[in-house]
Formats: sequence, C-alpha cells, structure tokens
Amino acid sequence: MLEKTKVLVLIGIIAILGNWVGYGVSPVQALPGMLLIVLFTVIGLGLNKLIPKMPAVVWISLIALIATTPIFPGNEWIVAKTAEINFMALATPILAYAGLSLGKDLESFKKLGWRIVVISLVVYTGTFLFATLFAEIVFKLQGRF
Amino acid sequence: MLKDWKLHIIVLFFVLIGEAIGVKQFNLGVGTIALFPMLYVLLMGGVVSFPKLKLMNEVQMKRAAGILGISFLLFVAKLGSMLGPSLPKIFDAGVSLAVQEVGHVLGTIIIGLPIALLIGMKREAIGATFSIDREPNLAIISEKYGADSPEGRGALGVYICGTVFGAIYLAILAGFLGSLGIFHPISLAMGAGVGSGSMMAAASGALAVTFPNDAEDIALFAAAANLISTILGTYLCVFFSLPVTARLYEWLEPKIGRTRKEGAK
Repeated sequence: MLEKTKVLVLIGIIAILGNWVGYGVSPVQALPGMLLIVLFTVIGLGLNKLIPKMPAVVWISLIALIATTPIFPGNEWIVAKTAEINFMALATPILAYAGLSLGKDLESFKKLGWRIVVISLVVYTGTFLFATLFAEIVFKLQGRF
Repeated sequence: MLKDWKLHIIVLFFVLIGEAIGVKQFNLGVGTIALFPMLYVLLMGGVVSFPKLKLMNEVQMKRAAGILGISFLLFVAKLGSMLGPSLPKIFDAGVSLAVQEVGHVLGTIIIGLPIALLIGMKREAIGATFSIDREPNLAIISEKYGADSPEGRGALGVYICGTVFGAIYLAILAGFLGSLGIFHPISLAMGAGVGSGSMMAAASGALAVTFPNDAEDIALFAAAANLISTILGTYLCVFFSLPVTARLYEWLEPKIGRTRKEGAK
C-alpha cells in the first residue's frame, strides 16, 4: 500500500511537469489538485482492501465523484483544484509506461497468425462503432441533436 | 517498482518531449488523423522496449506494466472528479448511456464472429470475438474452456493484439471517425469507453483533440461509459456474451464457416 502510494505520488509529479509543459499550468498551481487526486486513489485502494468485492476502479470513481458533488463540503474548492490537472496530461505518463512494457509482448505477438490480428481490429472497431451508433440513435430519437 | 529510477526518468523525459511537441493533425482529404502526446510517448516507449535493442530487460518491462496498472487509477480518480459536478448532465443522457453499453457488448460479436468464420477461424472465433478480451474476460474464458483451449487461445490472441496496438488503433479510429462529422462528439465519447484503460484514454484523447471545444464533455462521457463497462462488463460477459457467442457459432459455423484444411488459427 505504501509502495503503491509512493508510485502514485511519483506519477503525479511526472504528470504535473507534463501539465506544465503541455498546458501551461505551473506546478504550484497544479499541486493541490494532484494531491487530491492521489488522495482519492489511496482512499479507494484502501476501501478496495476492506471490501474487495467492488473493484478498485469503481471505489476510486465513487470517492472522487462523491467528493466533487454539491453535497460534499468544500466541493467547489475540490472541483476547482482538480480541474487544474488536464486529463490528457495525466494520461500521458500512463501511456509511456504502457509503451515501455510493450517489448515483453512482442515475441508472443509475432507468433500470432494474421487472422487473429485482423479479427482484433474488427472487434475493436465493432465495439467502438456500435456503442457510438447506439448512443447516436437514442440521442436522435430523443431529439437531442 | 519505485526503485527503478531508469524507468521513471525515461518516462519523465518522454512526457516532456511529448507534451512539448503537442497536438498535430494530418488531413487525409476524407478525414483527419489526430496525433497527440499520449501516442508519441507510447510509440517512444515501444521503440525503447523493442527486444532487439536490448535497452530494457524483461523485469523492467514487467515493472512498467505493473506501474501502468497502478497509475491508471490516478486517471480514474481524475475522471471521477469530473463526474461529480456533472451528475445532472450524465443522468440526462442516461438512456443513451445505457443503450450504448449494449452496443459495446454486441459490437464485438455482430461483425467479429461472421468475419472470423469467413476468414476460416474455428472455435478460436468464440474467444476472439465474445468481448474485447482484456484481463477479466480472459479469466472468464479460461474458467469455462481452459486457457489452452482453442477458445482460450483466440481470446489470448486478441488480448496480445490489444496490448500491442489497441490504444493506437482506437485513437486513430476515434479521431478519424470524429473528423468525418457523421457522429456527435458525445456519442463518440461514449463509444470510446470500451472498458479498457489505455484504449479509453487514447480514444477519448483523440476525440478531445478533434473536438477541442467539447474536450471536457468528451472526457466525462467516455469516463461514464467506461465505468458502466467496468461494472457491468464481467456479468454481461458471463451471462450473456459468452453463451450467445457460443450459440451463434454453432448456428453460423456450418453456414459460413470454411472447411478445415489447415488447422486454421
């Protein structure tokens, strides 16, 4: 848990620097928001340890969601501070780690037949396209846009 | 994990370069391809971890994968903090959010299974097309058929493809579809919530680049859709996707399946 917290803080620091270069938010300005995001994550991980039936991702979303709803004391400050962290800037270091882990799967990737590669493209296209299409149809039926 | 400073310094370096380059869009005539920091760092990482270059060892790559899992949680917390203030907006789009999940679930099977059969796959097709084959789905398929069954191998194959190029592919697909102007950015954002962390991040990033004015809403609805996929995904997979895919296979295979002449894989 402590190890995980340290890793989260480290990624937070990298993201703050990326947020500075990419979105011009100074580290001082971004720090409180990042601390809040790390805090939500750590609380969510703790709750996941207590009640593992619910995945950590759901716990963390729930904690962050509750803390930013109007019923939560100080929510306006929390919303304003977390908004300083651009969601893209936070995702960039994550994908850098994803990239650095790619090598380990390349050997098994090379062994795959062409069919499975084609089908994986079809599967990803299908899930994205059909969800988009269904959402669009409902919005159209409701006359939203 | 924390001790591996080489890894973290490489990441920091990549992030700074990536963010400094910023967003680039290429016009292909029919639509645009959106390139942005997430994709640059992913590619740079892929190059550095390329086994032939021997810049990183297996242990470091495994560590990077471990950190990926933990650090994604920060992204989840950030998206959660955007959900709180926007609950009315999300409830307002509730019907679309519910129905799009049906699209996520059916979308892999509807076009995946027939095409898999047409190109000559056998029972691998079940594992390959019943879901997007991320970790929870792999667990489901190996429980039912065994990890070394044809079904299990099909699922693992798509899993590996997803790890290697899923995020990049979805980012390009999302950016391109977005630029065509057929779909509303919010519908596309929901589509981006496929239930896999890096794919969702990359696809919603591409949409945010394509529709800069809707960036906040795109993150919001991608996050909401992704959360639904995460919560319902496993149940839907066990009780719906897998049995339905297996049934469809039995029905479709004699009709459009190709004869087994070369142990199709």
